[in-house]
Amino acid sequence: MERLEFDELDKLSEQKEVFAPDATFEAPVKNIGKGHLFMAVEEVMPEIGATDLEVSGEIAESKGKGYPIARRDVMRLFSASAILGATACVKRPAEKIVPYVNQPIDFAPGNPVYYATTCNECPAACGVVVKTREGRPTKLEGGPEHPVSQGALCAIGQASIQSLYHPERHKSPLFQTNGHAKELSWEAAFDRIGAIVKGSKKVGIITKGSTGSQRKFYAEFLTKIGSKSENVFTWDANGLYSSISEAHRLAFGVEGLPRLELARASTIVGIGSDILDVGTSVVYHSKGLSQALSIKGLEKGELVQFEAVMSLTGGRADKRHVIPVGSELATTLLLVRALHEKTAAKGSKGARAVIASVLDANKGALDQAYDVIGVKKEVFEALAHKMLEKPSVLVAGGTASFDENATSLQVAGIFANILLGAYGSILNFDKGWSASPVKAGDMKRFVEASPDLDVVFVIGTDPSFSLPASYGFSEALTKVKTIISIQNFPAEVDRLAEFILPADHYLETWGDEEPVSGFLSIRQPAVRTTVNSRQPEEMLMWIAASAGAPMGYADYRTYLSAQWKSYYEMAGAKVDYETFVKAVLRRGFIGKLDTRTVGDLIDVKISLTLPESGLKLVAPFDHRLRDGSFAHIPILQEVGDGMTTIAWDSWIAINPNTCRKLGLKRNDVIRVEGPGGFFEGAVFPLPGLHPDAIVAPRGNGHTDKRSTISNGVGFNPLAAFSKAEDKVTGQPVTSGQKVKLSLVGKTYRLAAMQKHHDIGNRSDIIRTTSLATLANEGREKDLDSVPDLYPDILQRGDYRWGMSVDLSKCTGCGACMTACSLENNVAQIGREQILLGREMHWIRLDRYFNGEVDSPGVTFQPVMCQQCNHAPCEAVCPVLATTHDDEGINAMTYNRCVGTRYCGNACPYKVRRFNWWTYKWNTMGEKERDRNIKALNPDVTVRTRGVMEKCNFCVGRLRDAKLSAKERSKEFGREFRVQDSDVKTACQQTCPSDAITFGDLKNPGSGISKLRRDPRAYLLLGGFPEEKEYGLKTMPNVSYLMKVGADNESVAGSEGTQAPKHG
Amino acid sequence: MRALKILTAAVCILVCQMISTDAKAWWMWSPGDTVENSTQSMIGSGYHPDQPIDFPHNIHAGNLKMDCQYCHSAARRSQSAGVPPLNTCMGCHKIVATDKDPIKYIAEKYKRNEPVEWTKVHDLPDFVRFSHKPHVLAGFTCQECHGPMQEKVTAAQHAPLQMGWCIGCHKDNLDKGAKISCNTCHY
Repeated sequence: MERLEFDELDKLSEQKEVFAPDATFEAPVKNIGKGHLFMAVEEVMPEIGATDLEVSGEIAESKGKGYPIARRDVMRLFSASAILGATACVKRPAEKIVPYVNQPIDFAPGNPVYYATTCNECPAACGVVVKTREGRPTKLEGGPEHPVSQGALCAIGQASIQSLYHPERHKSPLFQTNGHAKELSWEAAFDRIGAIVKGSKKVGIITKGSTGSQRKFYAEFLTKIGSKSENVFTWDANGLYSSISEAHRLAFGVEGLPRLELARASTIVGIGSDILDVGTSVVYHSKGLSQALSIKGLEKGELVQFEAVMSLTGGRADKRHVIPVGSELATTLLLVRALHEKTAAKGSKGARAVIASVLDANKGALDQAYDVIGVKKEVFEALAHKMLEKPSVLVAGGTASFDENATSLQVAGIFANILLGAYGSILNFDKGWSASPVKAGDMKRFVEASPDLDVVFVIGTDPSFSLPASYGFSEALTKVKTIISIQNFPAEVDRLAEFILPADHYLETWGDEEPVSGFLSIRQPAVRTTVNSRQPEEMLMWIAASAGAPMGYADYRTYLSAQWKSYYEMAGAKVDYETFVKAVLRRGFIGKLDTRTVGDLIDVKISLTLPESGLKLVAPFDHRLRDGSFAHIPILQEVGDGMTTIAWDSWIAINPNTCRKLGLKRNDVIRVEGPGGFFEGAVFPLPGLHPDAIVAPRGNGHTDKRSTISNGVGFNPLAAFSKAEDKVTGQPVTSGQKVKLSLVGKTYRLAAMQKHHDIGNRSDIIRTTSLATLANEGREKDLDSVPDLYPDILQRGDYRWGMSVDLSKCTGCGACMTACSLENNVAQIGREQILLGREMHWIRLDRYFNGEVDSPGVTFQPVMCQQCNHAPCEAVCPVLATTHDDEGINAMTYNRCVGTRYCGNACPYKVRRFNWWTYKWNTMGEKERDRNIKALNPDVTVRTRGVMEKCNFCVGRLRDAKLSAKERSKEFGREFRVQDSDVKTACQQTCPSDAITFGDLKNPGSGISKLRRDPRAYLLLGGFPEEKEYGLKTMPNVSYLMKVGADNESVAGSEGTQAPKHG
Repeated sequence: MRALKILTAAVCILVCQMISTDAKAWWMWSPGDTVENSTQSMIGSGYHPDQPIDFPHNIHAGNLKMDCQYCHSAARRSQSAGVPPLNTCMGCHKIVATDKDPIKYIAEKYKRNEPVEWTKVHDLPDFVRFSHKPHVLAGFTCQECHGPMQEKVTAAQHAPLQMGWCIGCHKDNLDKGAKISCNTCHY
């Protein structure tokens, strides 16, 4: 069908034939049927679900409750406002302009200044570029040149802006006796602590993991004041660091974590792995995996995951096998056995002998293991065969790194990787490895050493919360006479402390990290301290000085400067040291990978015991809140868990079939009783879990009243665990203990967003294809050739902006949602409002399942405004508040909007968001419903009550890019256009998997133009153009790329289901 | 009856207080408003607030023919034209006219490292995103919007700064790349 061309709508009357009913204008809508996917388990198993209205968020928790203001108050406000307006007693505030006294050179007010620094939210140490405006940070982005972050940043890194300006940070040093806190001056605090330290000498430090100079400094401090340098105890709730490092020490005699270069791998096998959820370096691994799994010609890498829980890594997997809780070690050994039997297996003779002896010793257990874990021998055989053909790697971890076999599992993983020959290519252990930020068994050591300690500094970590109460940390700590808690945010451990000292946020401090050995990543302040806080290291310097043992450095920066000398010598720079440091600070990192020789595998034993059956509790990290250190950050609570889409809560995820068997329904409150205690929470039936797994995420359950955001949200599942330790390292166990369930007799609505803004279940929402189909039928597409009666509006402006989202790459991590909310001042609204379906995300993550509930395939789909060229919303606005601009963007003019919400109803993609209130959660302000202006982006309008809003393709960034192109054109006298590298939207910029591409569709060479022509490209609700079915014909500027399965299967894990009919 | 009136008044006051928390948002939507500490309307030209010192634009830009962008140097580089920092003033006034009262005032401020707080004259609503840079790049003179500042002492609002006025000029300059889509200024 040829494209119909009309200059003006008037001429339509002359084209009467197109209205003729028998014309072959387009095929009748017959193929766009119901999709085979489901978003909520209710759709396939209504008997265990909640009601439709509850799920879609169309009813309130209970009438009148949950609203910030009653309806009548609103009426009063409106009438009173009218009176006030009439009498003009509300005056517009006269704004002040306060210029600098001494303005820095090259500074222009209104222009951002950028600082390179290093994130400190986890030991991965991603490089960050901090955008500051007039001296205050407004947005964080991954350092584009930094080798760890490679330009991207996870949700937690993005959200550090909100923890920096958090109004509930400690504001002054406190002295606490019998639960009463008294404010102290810094001098008094240092004097008193100094006197105590001087009198005792038995001093210890508990600190969070770091790979930089910090720990060396702590050891130096302890030696200086007369204590022992071994008294530094490190604690990171993520057991992966210590188990990998300890396993390598056992296997090779040297500690460390190999640097995992996933991009070089073709087949990646994850055993319970959580590299995309938490892992050891989530951004780096997401980048690597995205490259490994991307489609190269007619080939594509493959991720095979064995797991008991439903992690984001499992959701991303091409094939997913469900195994019982605690059987990760058995699974790995079975794969090792299969690999070992193959002649193609690599590894030295000695190493193979060690592996053979371990396999022989466990032969009996391994023979039974196939039945216990429910995976057939042939699966392992086939997998081993495939893995040996091409570069492959095995990664183990996740919840399995919290159980008693954590270290043995990593040793088994090392066996597999030796047989695969992964060391030296994919796993770098002799060149550029990583040091473990934590030492295995440190908490055990602390509990044993605590009777000998008089003074303990707890710096930046909260073991009272992130260890099970049964582990006995808090009891051990209370035996210590003086506890000094140094935190940048109120922590549970503060309750036990005598002194509470407010620490700087990492954006206010100096520091360094060594994420890869030999490679230094520098942390520098991007802002002067925003509250009365100090840098922890400088506090120790002052304390040492008042204890009569000064450390001899003017400040921590001087100390660091001395540490960085070796890099100066290594670099061989021809400038003086100060200039060198300045240059390094500008870049944010320096270094060259260290090398070392690692010997062959040494004799190491593993004893395998097969897991018993029965319900077992697993407490994985919530990928946003981790061990709970980020529960006070509103945006992370609001983004929601990727898989369950639950926000502002904890939940107990259970396999739907188990739910049916036990008579549980969604939202039923149950009591989970473990050997160490119990907790209560609401049930969420989640497809894909092992039938025996009871999965309750960690991260919430804070009871500290000082944090209004996290207090009372969810529960802490660690309450059910009894004291148990890793058999090898002594790390605490927080996974796989047997539990009993009982109904409490209440229900509690979990704020799950999965069915909010539901766009129906049509087969043209998620489209999938296979490599074979692409090879046979794949040809370039022209998504814009849709027969259409409207005048052509695509060709007017200089640019036409478009976006493409690769469904094969999205992992559902939520970084885009976080970045978007922070860039565009999107409100956080809290649980009650989310229950009403009012969440404000401009970009949302829809999660679809397909196949059986026991082993489903998972697809994530980020949905933002599709910027339709024939936008249904524009036609219905009575006040022209939403209009189309000449560059293809559907513009929203907030000040014109009168809040009819017609547009929101007209939008088929359900991407428009209405401000029902001037939301209090946006604020994190001092007062309720007051906004903390410091945490807002000054370049984007803050919307108030009664206004519709939505994604605008970060139009402010586009304007800046066009302006600089214009500036260049003027400077060089020829026309410059905005290129791909000149502008990135906030979501695209931060995506750790590079799933989002954005650019100019008028430039045929741009990345976006290529992706819009890609054989995989399709339009959301755009029907099946290849069969002349054009769907809604909204003609969006956003296109999607179909999800591709690895082999000839079209969608991941969809064994037993038919591939979708189309594509 | 009297009790009822008192009650009504009390409710009104209460509501007024409730509103005041939202006041910042409220004024955005009410046209024809007035500015704090002033009876003048900010809508339309002529708004002329008091400033800490009567800075004589007429002497600097008029008599001495100094370029506007010598002090407002951010205008060509940034969205905001920028009010000069004190060190720009003190560059000359360490030597020039040190005996005059206003100079003594700024010298004292400079010595104490305190900034001068000026009152914003050209104050666009918060939902408008205006940038000086493209206008300067397109070759417009400052006077086209700000009036003959070289003849004035302190600044007064010259142009009405209402949307019709903006659009009028943008429509006349479409060939220079001016845009009239809503999201040029509103986002």
